[in-house]
Amino acid sequence: MKRKVRILWLGLMTCNGNAHSFLNYPYLEQFFSDFEFIYHPIIDSDYTLEDIISKEIFCDILLLEGAIGDDFIKADIPAVEIIKKYSNIATKIVTVGTCATFGGIFRESNYQNISGLHFKANERIYKFNDFFEKTISISGCPIHPETLVNTLYAIKKGIELNLDIYLRPKEYFAYTVHNGCTRNEYFEYKVDNHHFGELEGCMFYDHGCQGPFTHGSCNKILWNEINSKTRTGLPCLGCTEPSFPKQDLFNTKKNMGIPEYLPIGVPKRVYLTLAGITKAFTIDRLQKKLFND
Amino acid sequence: MIKLIEKIEGEAKLNFSFKDNKIDDVNVDFMSTRHIEDILKGKSPLDALVINPRVCGICGHAHLIATVRALEDCYDAIEISNKAKIIRELTLNFELIQNHFKWFYLTIFPLFGLKQNVMKAVTPSQLMAKAIALFGGQYPHTSYAIVGGVVCEITEMDIIKLQHYIDETIKFFENNVLDVDIQMFQNCDNVTKVMSQRGDLVEILKLIEINGWLDYGKSYDRFIVFGESSYFTKGKSIKTRVTNNLFLEDIKESEATTSFAKSVHYHGKYYEVGPLSRAMVKKTALIKDAHRKYADSIFTRILARVCEISQLLLHTELLIKELDISEPSYIKPKSDISSLNASGFSAVEAARGTLIHKVIIENSVIKSYEIITPTQWNLCGGVKDSKGVSQKAMIGLENIEIAELVFKSFDVCSVCTTH
Repeated sequence: MKRKVRILWLGLMTCNGNAHSFLNYPYLEQFFSDFEFIYHPIIDSDYTLEDIISKEIFCDILLLEGAIGDDFIKADIPAVEIIKKYSNIATKIVTVGTCATFGGIFRESNYQNISGLHFKANERIYKFNDFFEKTISISGCPIHPETLVNTLYAIKKGIELNLDIYLRPKEYFAYTVHNGCTRNEYFEYKVDNHHFGELEGCMFYDHGCQGPFTHGSCNKILWNEINSKTRTGLPCLGCTEPSFPKQDLFNTKKNMGIPEYLPIGVPKRVYLTLAGITKAFTIDRLQKKLFND
Repeated sequence: MIKLIEKIEGEAKLNFSFKDNKIDDVNVDFMSTRHIEDILKGKSPLDALVINPRVCGICGHAHLIATVRALEDCYDAIEISNKAKIIRELTLNFELIQNHFKWFYLTIFPLFGLKQNVMKAVTPSQLMAKAIALFGGQYPHTSYAIVGGVVCEITEMDIIKLQHYIDETIKFFENNVLDVDIQMFQNCDNVTKVMSQRGDLVEILKLIEINGWLDYGKSYDRFIVFGESSYFTKGKSIKTRVTNNLFLEDIKESEATTSFAKSVHYHGKYYEVGPLSRAMVKKTALIKDAHRKYADSIFTRILARVCEISQLLLHTELLIKELDISEPSYIKPKSDISSLNASGFSAVEAARGTLIHKVIIENSVIKSYEIITPTQWNLCGGVKDSKGVSQKAMIGLENIEIAELVFKSFDVCSVCTTH
């Protein structure tokens, strides 16, 4: 029998949300027959955190969860030292979540030089540059369990993944969150009268939805296998992006009535032309409630 | 002697001193913080709905509900539909249930020499996560409860789906945790009857008995509950005497000298919070019986937490019946929250006990935000002559392994504690 792939899951400045999101992966029994954690913040392991810190334990993949700060201490040791030690040992590193990738929410915490492993928001940093080539980023606050698990299987199979500039697998991050949203028609035909608490309407125009310019598969691979934020009526908060969290998240910033952030790759002129055309029509079906009449 | 306690949503350090082979004192040290309260300063008030669930990966939903209620408390008057209130209560209950399953199979099992059972932990907790996602879009880290209600609309088909998740979870409970009809367990008022059944809960309780641990984990026998819902009652219980008049302003938080966790007291006294406290204040018959026999020991504390799973599952079914889906999910507040200069409080029963949020809004932004978490009540170190709740429960024990069990019987959450 081939040996299991050994993973070290190291929690840094984190809420543990990625570790819990991982527990929502539907086929964990199979996962555990292929992988083992030499340490995990929740799941029992052969080694303690004290072992991990005081010794050098072999692992194939290092998973980092949480933001990194120069003076952030993990079990009495600067976290930076632990990261460096195991980055040398591991063949691959995966930054799990937006904090470990870009700094995320805790970029604004009171430590020195808070960042992800290779990025501070969208700025490239070189503190761990030696390990850049072996890193894959899975951003998201939290990560989607399938995105993480399938990436780990790809590493196990030795597949060379096609990555974007932030080292995220394109298979999951080339899409926008907008793709597959059940509210798409309201976006396409610029029906801009969204109200919270309704099945109808698009949150892009007034309520801050970042779906059209956020990379992720939330509406392609649903959450908890059943739903997504935008489908339920919550604006996409852009949690997979370097800029997360932006400010004033439930409002769409506009200049002269035009949203400041437009769908990725769509020039303002194109957007305005299309908006002008669609605005010229009233599509009765999209003005009504879905189920009544 | 210092012991690093791991896998409690982070770590804590327990520094023990022994006298006559017994624990004479223990210092509880949570070692890092993330300064969430500072991060919130200057932000648009509604952004707290996005930031605060990120306090914690396992009980972040309680932080969302506490946030939305604190923000709504800033209004002199705000209308929230009964439907939105019920939906919020449902999703919060689902989070409690998933938490308790995880704690039982991931944390408690290994402490009794049993193998951690990941599959038994995740099977029901994934179902409860789906139940939250049905309304919230995803779990963890949704922000679906907003000032004025909830963002989702629900249909009869959604209710049917929801019922399936709940029924499957009840089946899991009956097939694994306790091999009796869940309704019978609900009506049971006698611990001896529970002990004559089979199931993972009974196995753990029997091990406590066999190992001679029935006396372990006792603390002040003082309990407090601030959060109210259609199931939980506000009140405090001191040596089984329950009073229901509590005042949030009498809660005080004080800085600790060594730890990042601030200690919390009510009228200068430490109280235990969590499922045991909720059952004592609510006077749940089975837990009262266990308390009569074993006081506030690990036996009663563990039983209370597991018992809360079945209670909440059954209560949830009643709540669903009360849902009138023709009501609005969201009622737009008459004024924008950014226009207020006001402060708001909320108290919510999270998995581990009372969670309190306080917000002050000034000039369109958050001026200050304060969070008091359940683990602060239970696990923060007291001062020399007045020990914290968990400290008192550990003093007098013979060894560190038992002390760790007692410590974890409170269901510790390191990330919440230091936020």
